[in-house]
Amino acid sequence: MKWETRIQRLAARARTEPPPPIDVTHSVLAVLRAGQAEPIAVTERFWMWLAAASAAVAVPAAVVAVALYNASSGPLPEIINSIAWAM
Amino acid sequence: MVLTVFAQVVVRWPEDDSLVNADARSNEADDIRRSGEGDSEAYRRLIERHQEHVGRILWRFTRDRRAHEELVQDVFVEAYLSLATYRAKAPFEHWLARIATRVGYRYWRERDRVKQAEPFSLEEWDQVTGDEDVLDRLEPNEAANLLHRLLGQLPPRDRLVLTLRYLEECDVAETARRTGWSKTMVKVQTLRARNKLQKLIEQSGTELTP
Repeated sequence: MKWETRIQRLAARARTEPPPPIDVTHSVLAVLRAGQAEPIAVTERFWMWLAAASAAVAVPAAVVAVALYNASSGPLPEIINSIAWAM
Repeated sequence: MVLTVFAQVVVRWPEDDSLVNADARSNEADDIRRSGEGDSEAYRRLIERHQEHVGRILWRFTRDRRAHEELVQDVFVEAYLSLATYRAKAPFEHWLARIATRVGYRYWRERDRVKQAEPFSLEEWDQVTGDEDVLDRLEPNEAANLLHRLLGQLPPRDRLVLTLRYLEECDVAETARRTGWSKTMVKVQTLRARNKLQKLIEQSGTELTP
């Protein structure tokens, strides 16, 4: 018998096995109550995306601002400024 | 006469599957909406309606009863927290099946990280499957246990695709839906996993240890 046929026959036997009876109703509700978990509403999801987009823009903007500040406050710009004043 | 006709209609009504199904779908949609608004009784009804189905799926992922119960619980907690993402394009049961698959797969990856595969001997596999009669006489739980441990020798990704294809009888499209992979990805992954399983089986007589 081909190996895959054996696997398929074994799987067919395995599929007839009933899973153990289970009741998680109380435990799930207890977890949800304990964590005070609430489903995320559509409006909350919108604000989350907006916050993420703002952060994505704000971080590079801050990096560029710091770089520009450093570039404009070094000794070279001061020399250029003084030459421009003398002329 | 009128009463007789009315009685016949009343008696026949529950037998009309389309009406019963439509009614059940309407109740379910109502329960989903109410659960999203924080109605715990509505969510209790949803859990009671679907926990057997979710339990059946997760029994493929673990045969430890305690872990099984925890995984089923995780599915319903995750489902509740992401109820807003349910768009009702597919039945709620299918949406839960996707979450259950994700939870089960995550469980396998965690176990794989700490190398907790169950020991498995290919001699045992040969004894059981070498003879067709023995295969047919196997109890369902013995067959499921053997297959579970055999597939447990594979990496979680291979194990997932083979479990869905062999045990859950999912076709390519359904496997793609359940895993979130593309259909091409499913086909490639199935081919790779089959090759690995074939190699594993061909190593008959070798004792495998995790």
